[in-house]
Amino acid sequence: MENNTIKAKRWLNTISGENILSKQEHCPTRDIFQARLDKIRLNFESKPEINLDILYSLIAIIGEIGNNAYDHNLGKWRDMMGIYFDVDFENKTIVVADRGQGILSSIQKVKPETKNDLEALKVAFTEVISGRYPEKRGNGLKFVTKVSKDLGIQINLHSGNAVAKIENKKLSFENSDQTINGVLAIIKY
Amino acid sequence: MTEIKLKQFGEMLLSRPAGREAWLAAQAYSLPKDDEKIIVDFDGVLVLSPSWADEFITKLKEKYSQVELINTSNASVKASLEII
Repeated sequence: MENNTIKAKRWLNTISGENILSKQEHCPTRDIFQARLDKIRLNFESKPEINLDILYSLIAIIGEIGNNAYDHNLGKWRDMMGIYFDVDFENKTIVVADRGQGILSSIQKVKPETKNDLEALKVAFTEVISGRYPEKRGNGLKFVTKVSKDLGIQINLHSGNAVAKIENKKLSFENSDQTINGVLAIIKY
Repeated sequence: MTEIKLKQFGEMLLSRPAGREAWLAAQAYSLPKDDEKIIVDFDGVLVLSPSWADEFITKLKEKYSQVELINTSNASVKASLEII
């Protein structure tokens, strides 16, 4: 069976108008994403081994990354609005992906001198800045980084041809030979 | 003194639009017009994100000089309040 990471990459690379996602995987609007996230929380809560403190922080991380997709792409989706959101309980892997403008395009609105995807990811993860100027915001990815480091959650956030990685409680950035048009976040817990 | 129970806005307080909506509703129906002490009770809130908190708690602190936050021991509440 195809895992959610491979499916997300395949979806991000489909041509406009082609949809490979099921209704359970695609969240066209924020309300649908919130409802699914609530359902996922209830599902996790029913597992006796789950640590609730870790669970609620994990839900906050997913919520922050998922809501970012709507905040920064409303009215700017490449074609298909919304996100691909899937949880693989067996492999403990959560995927959130969007066919939006990507992080470089968003950051360049407020920092036009940003040259490439790698630089844009560094700005997004380390500076209190947001593409949604003049709104005062930009703490979301700092929160994601802090909580993931504290709890040992692993995150790969890929946009364009760069990746931000949080693993072994460290944040790092690197270029990638794969290009993601939009954003792909892979969360391992 | 006015006390606000955040659980009344939901157990999962995540997005900016939801935080903004909560702030507008609280101003209309729960918060005093004059500057007085506000107690914000997080009891029963399971998940808080910095986006929601920024739209509600940050604005509350800008408007009122005395804001006390209670029952903040939940991990996501603590982490979000530290970062806003």
